[in-house]
Amino acid sequence: MNILTIPFRNIRRKPAKTLLLLLVFTLGVVSIVSLVSFSRVARHSLEQKLWAFGPNILVFPKIEQIRLSYGGMNAGNVTTDVRFLDERAVLAGIDAIPNRGNVRAVSPKLVTVAAMTVPGKASASGADSNVGVVGVLWDREKLIKNYWMPQGRYPETEEELLAGHAVAARLGLKPGDRVGLFGREMLVSGVLEPTGSDDDGVVFGNLALVQENAGRRGKLNFLEVAAICAGCPIGDIVDQMRAAVPDAEITAMMNVVEQRMYSLDFVSNLILAVSLIILFIACAMVGLSMMSQVNDRKREIGLLRSMGFSKGRVFQIVCFEGFLLGVAAGGIGYTIGFVASEKILGALRMLEDASLTFEPAHLAIACGVFGLVSTASSLLPAWKASRIEPSEALVSI
Amino acid sequence: MIEAFGIGKTFRSNGSEIHALRDVSLSVRDGEFVSIAGRSGSGKTTLLNVLSTLMRPDSGTIRYDGRDAASMDARELDALRKNEIAMVFQFHYLLPYLTAIENVALPFMDSMIPVSRDRTDHAMRCLSRVGLKGKEHRLPGQLSGGEQQRVAIARALVTSAKILFADEPTGSLDKGTGREIMELIRGFTDDGLSVVMVTHDREYASVADRVVSMEDGRIVV
Ligand SMILES: Nc1ncnc2c1ncn2[C@@H]1O[C@H](COP(=O)(O)OP(=O)(O)OP(=O)(O)O)[C@@H](O)[C@H]1O
Ligand SMILES: [Mg+2]
Repeated sequence: MNILTIPFRNIRRKPAKTLLLLLVFTLGVVSIVSLVSFSRVARHSLEQKLWAFGPNILVFPKIEQIRLSYGGMNAGNVTTDVRFLDERAVLAGIDAIPNRGNVRAVSPKLVTVAAMTVPGKASASGADSNVGVVGVLWDREKLIKNYWMPQGRYPETEEELLAGHAVAARLGLKPGDRVGLFGREMLVSGVLEPTGSDDDGVVFGNLALVQENAGRRGKLNFLEVAAICAGCPIGDIVDQMRAAVPDAEITAMMNVVEQRMYSLDFVSNLILAVSLIILFIACAMVGLSMMSQVNDRKREIGLLRSMGFSKGRVFQIVCFEGFLLGVAAGGIGYTIGFVASEKILGALRMLEDASLTFEPAHLAIACGVFGLVSTASSLLPAWKASRIEPSEALVSI
Repeated sequence: MIEAFGIGKTFRSNGSEIHALRDVSLSVRDGEFVSIAGRSGSGKTTLLNVLSTLMRPDSGTIRYDGRDAASMDARELDALRKNEIAMVFQFHYLLPYLTAIENVALPFMDSMIPVSRDRTDHAMRCLSRVGLKGKEHRLPGQLSGGEQQRVAIARALVTSAKILFADEPTGSLDKGTGREIMELIRGFTDDGLSVVMVTHDREYASVADRVVSMEDGRIVV
């Protein structure tokens, strides 16, 4: 028996009323918990889907360029010197940035032009065709170009090539064809469907092989990077990369990036707004119910005051009752909300590439947070209770 | 020892003034049993409320063992109510969700510190003293009116108060039960407890050491 016995017993006294209040508050918590876990999963799968748009940051060597513009005539950019990036240094630099976790893929590339002999065609045209060959690291390139759909398959060995749609059409290449390149025989393992980008006009091969044959061992022309981050601005990632690779020019395709962020932020803001409204309604319910409780219990409170309970004690008793309700609603609500969102998300088939885990720490946080929120909603009724004058409460029967 | 001098209390309602107490002076010695009689509306309850600190008078002074109530701050007033003053009302105000023993121990439940074993035992003895041994764990709803009033009296006694204010403690009870309650209260004055009791009943009033009659906000005898 101590001061907490009073609110504890009072909550038990009216189980129906307490249950009803608990139910409303719990419903609020349930919807918030479901919305939040729904948003986490939705955000995750949205991010997954957004990858389909390919790279959004480009890393180039710094090139000395002189813009020639004279008398209103633009003569374009004159490149005075072609420079290369050092593969090892750039990859190490990017790997070391603080937001590396938000960088999904980094794909280094070296571009060269080489003569390709196509057997059968050679006799007809009588000449080799020059093609652009892009050296890539396949495991990385596939992450960035996950919208690619090759006929045939991706190259697996360095003797295999992937041909862009346009170049394949020009040279009549099909998956399984053998061609001559870099003075050796190679297999066209796949041909890309049209992408509408520069990828259509080139042939992709193993990076090391291209470097070797272009005489640029360990060198790169540029890198494509796919980065996305729900909470941090892409500008930060770009700045970090600039600091990590000072001799490179880093450009973000801002529009693409911002568009992606916008859709994520919109979803989370919407969910936040809905959660806040629900929480506000739940708080108002608790506050109103506590207020009517206080009015119903005027005489009890007057009695406590007449026995020497201070205003502060009365205040505490009402607040603690609110706290108890909040903790109970938080606990029950989190559990139900967790189960409910798992069911809903499962039914919507959204749990395929994301998962929800029941975390005791989150349960504790939910109890604590809603305990505090409910206590806060009880502050006004508690204050009112503490103002009750014992004489008026006891005399006016 | 409680001394009141020149107490005045005026209520204002709907523009009219009701002089509930006019220049009332009364002192009660330790262990004295004072009964207040008078017609309905004569100001008995108001006087009791003023004497028991539940109401502040508009004029006059009240001293508890020489300490002026008007000069006490909220904390001193709470301490006075907790340690020296006990109250019993016509309608036994018990908390309906606490058991008999918890209701008796209620004055000790004003902090996070659990009520000590000693105090629980003391509350038990108070309950036995009012004849409720064996009914400690019943809720008020499971007790008769007289039994509930006994619980209220046990609660008033548990803090070892110096003065008990009782406003028609037998008002809602039948004659026989009322008489038992009366004897119970009378018994406590032997331990040095002062009692100020409002009653309409002449028979009960005669149990007191002194009967004070009120009329129209004044003491007339
Ligand atoms: N809170 C109040 N507001 C206005 N008038 C009041 C208030 N309390 C008491 N009065 C008036 O003061 C006068 C004295 O009331 P009081 O309750 O002291 O009478 P009483 O002697 O206890 O009567 P009863 O025997 O009926 O209980 C009455 O006229 C009553 O109407
Ligand atoms: Mg009265």
